[in-house]
Amino acid sequence: MSSIAERLRAGSDPKFPENANTVEYAENLDANDSLCQLRDQFVLPTKASIRKKALDGRSPSSVEHTKTGTACSGELKTNGANGHPKDVSAANEDSDQAIYFVGNSLGAQPKAVREYVDAQLETWASVGVGGHFTDMEDSPLVAWQDMAEDCAKKSADLVGASPSEIVIMNTLTANLHLMMASFYRPTEKRHKVILEWRPFPSDHYVIESQIQWHGLDPKKSMVQIQPDENFYLSTEKILATIDENADETAMVLLPGIQYYSGQLLDIPTITKHAQDRGIVVGWDLAHAAGNVELKLHDWNVDWACWCTYKYICAGPGSIAGAFVHERHGAVEYSTGFEAPRFRHRLSGWYGDDKSGRFNMDNKFKPTPGAGGFQLSNPSAIDLASLSAALSVFAQTNMHDLRSKSLVLTAYAQHLLDSIISDSDGEPPFRIITPRDPRERGTQLSVLVREELMDAVSKALVDSGVVCDKRKPGVIRVAPVALYCTFKDVYTFMKIFRKALGA
Amino acid sequence: MDPGQAGLDYARQLDSKDKLRHLRDHFHIPTKAELSQTTLHASTPSRPGQDEPSTYLCGNSLGLQPKLTQKYMQQYLSTWATKGVYGHFKEVEDSELAPWLHVDDDCVPAMAKIVGAMESEVAVMQTLTANLHFMMASFYRPSKERHKIILEGKAFPSDHYAVESHIRHHNLDPTTSMVLLESFKPESSILETSHILSIIDAHASETALLLLPGIQFYTGQLFDINTITAHAQSKGITVGWDLAHAVGNVPLSLHDWNVDFAVWCTYKYLNCGPGSIGGCFVHERHGRVDEHPPSTPGGEPTFDYTPRLSGWWGSSKSSRFAMTNRFHPIPGAGGFQLSNPSVADTTALRASLDVFKQTDMSKLREKSLRLTAYLQTWLDVLAKELEGRLGRKCFGIITPRDAEQRGAQISVLLDDGLLDAVMESLEEDGIVVDERKPSVIRVAPAPLYNNHEDVFRFIEAFRSALNHALTEKESKESVMGNGGRGEKGWSEIK
Repeated sequence: MSSIAERLRAGSDPKFPENANTVEYAENLDANDSLCQLRDQFVLPTKASIRKKALDGRSPSSVEHTKTGTACSGELKTNGANGHPKDVSAANEDSDQAIYFVGNSLGAQPKAVREYVDAQLETWASVGVGGHFTDMEDSPLVAWQDMAEDCAKKSADLVGASPSEIVIMNTLTANLHLMMASFYRPTEKRHKVILEWRPFPSDHYVIESQIQWHGLDPKKSMVQIQPDENFYLSTEKILATIDENADETAMVLLPGIQYYSGQLLDIPTITKHAQDRGIVVGWDLAHAAGNVELKLHDWNVDWACWCTYKYICAGPGSIAGAFVHERHGAVEYSTGFEAPRFRHRLSGWYGDDKSGRFNMDNKFKPTPGAGGFQLSNPSAIDLASLSAALSVFAQTNMHDLRSKSLVLTAYAQHLLDSIISDSDGEPPFRIITPRDPRERGTQLSVLVREELMDAVSKALVDSGVVCDKRKPGVIRVAPVALYCTFKDVYTFMKIFRKALGA
Repeated sequence: MDPGQAGLDYARQLDSKDKLRHLRDHFHIPTKAELSQTTLHASTPSRPGQDEPSTYLCGNSLGLQPKLTQKYMQQYLSTWATKGVYGHFKEVEDSELAPWLHVDDDCVPAMAKIVGAMESEVAVMQTLTANLHFMMASFYRPSKERHKIILEGKAFPSDHYAVESHIRHHNLDPTTSMVLLESFKPESSILETSHILSIIDAHASETALLLLPGIQFYTGQLFDINTITAHAQSKGITVGWDLAHAVGNVPLSLHDWNVDFAVWCTYKYLNCGPGSIGGCFVHERHGRVDEHPPSTPGGEPTFDYTPRLSGWWGSSKSSRFAMTNRFHPIPGAGGFQLSNPSVADTTALRASLDVFKQTDMSKLREKSLRLTAYLQTWLDVLAKELEGRLGRKCFGIITPRDAEQRGAQISVLLDDGLLDAVMESLEEDGIVVDERKPSVIRVAPAPLYNNHEDVFRFIEAFRSALNHALTEKESKESVMGNGGRGEKGWSEIK
């Protein structure tokens, strides 16, 4: 598998063999996958559990293992199916297993989450307010006042930054606003914000309302980069748009991965090009963090934001993250201890340096780095959940996850291509995600012919496949490296092919 | 019978008549042993009495955990595990919880009751300081004439920093645009209503916004929200309230009082856990969304609404997933929401609100008035005792003595140099209260789970803590007299 990954990293053909579209080939890839056991760190829905209308005290894993007296740990290579401890290859044959290809929307639950959340509730119940500064000995958690920093440290590999450049706080959209309040400081000359044609609604509303907050006109200050007929935003087009507007542009705000098409943008090239023209560059990494390799510090990105409930698997709506480059986080005391100089920001008590936070002297002395952008004390239960999710990432690294992801997605594309080549007449669908593996993450966006959509949706649901529909007409398929298998991809394609009547 | 036992018996007698006493059973009250443990899983208590409940009078800082929280949290985790992304919109029978798309709205009715608002005026979102910023982005719109913000001089740091940073954001100068209310009596930190009104009058024509705490965190003073709001508004000033210490503590009528906006956190008297999701109130009159038909046939309608920093979650529910990128705000406070909320947080909020639903704020306030009056009575007795014995009181109450001007909390100002020893002693006796250095302890009997016995036990422990601290201080001072340990006075405690 690693040789396929290397070819994909270079943008070359993966060279899948003739027999790629067989269950044996898929199982073989799984058997040789060194990250395979990470799947056991997750609770994955089963076909039966998805259909459940009532809670019956059973999760798709642990409880039943306990009942049959088997250990529920990685060694057994169970995969979350209804309590059957088998090795991986046998377990994949379990027809009750749901195929969970929607981790781009809501990541599967790490088993550790329940343990960490229970620990948090127990700490709160046992020591009350003391939990802020007590490190409980047999707990996977640190004291509450240290949890956000701890999660920032554990997020370093995910975004390619030093811990002091990362802050875990708020939600994605709130963080976008806070970052724009600091970094979008329009002048009469430089007032424009460049964004893409169809950003996630929040990004559009954030930019629009921030422009309005400065008393400017979104029609004049928002510049949207249009895609080609395949929803593709070429780097050339992006750079050209920057050039056309350079002198009047204050900020570029783009998604690391476009949510609709799944396109991965060339973050370093675009960042440098804009910055060379005096433009500040921010990135919305909702679909990129935990998915593809990021090197925010080295790429000199000014700022970035992400959520943690997609590829980072911390639970619906869980606490978000932000990155502020080191060069923007400095706090200088050259003019005196009482008059620190720092980048303007909307501030709150939790951005105060820890040593002075409880002095209550109302003299803002921010923590240097991203931490100085915090507002309020953060949710400990959210941080417990995130901490649990990050403990899974700690067992591998983004490079290895990306390698597996490249092969999984290329395999999916290979099988989709064969469905098209096997079909008569007009193709039943087209993949709108770039074919170059360097220009995408895990997700493939499949634009299905309108008249086939309903039948396809129904068939997928009936077969226990969970993926995501985006109007108009796109099915997003995300075989996430942490917990999906090549067998999953193979099985999905069988079902998909049948659903299309191909 | 020793006076201690008589006092305890009397306290228990009072408790037996309390109609809300059953609510205490809905909470996890840390035992003395649990408080002192450093492992998550407790071992057998080593000292007798250690498995008794502690006396936790610190709900003004972090409320105790409702027992329901664990139950609901398990339901949420099971739903996520079994349904994955479908948890957003699929109903699950025998789960008390709403599908995730609706978890915040699900909490709004009970939340609105607690703050005295219409449901459309309340949103569950973000954190207190974030909400303060978003409210200020909408409601602090300075002009050349009206640019000032009036707030208290000893505001909680977040309020001060939020105001300061918004003033700077508008390229104004905090030294000329921030008006800090100071008490005009040097010996007291209480801000008299008449004083507040006179400061408002002095700056009225130049003032855009007044921001005050419903209850002051340090002194425990409860402000006359109704009067102050009306007076400021009559001068054309927008009025916002930070209700961190007021929500779940005292009855509020934000709608009737015509408050412009308010923000709060939920981890104090609302018992939702450290840092849990916050709330905000936007008066109905600011929440209107007026639609105008398209100016050209086939065009898009436009909307008039209070300007705001916006996000997808504030856009109308029916259009939210259409991804048209045309912001159509939900009328009311809901239109100020930004992101899909943390379901773990809203689960904890839902658990807490399900306890509040078993009573109401006026009943809680009734009990709270009795408890805090009882605390004050005993503090007065203790002060007299000490005065009689030592010639001085050793502490004072800095919270207003008038029950209508305070909530559950009483702030006690100790004589210099006593705080650390007092806190140490209280901790040993399993008493949990809050300290504000250098010399204040805050004692807050929360009506949901505290009782007269808690207050009485506090007083007993406080008496012995003071005795212990005074003895220590004296012995240190005599060491000082004999060529002590350093230049700084012993009252200079870090």
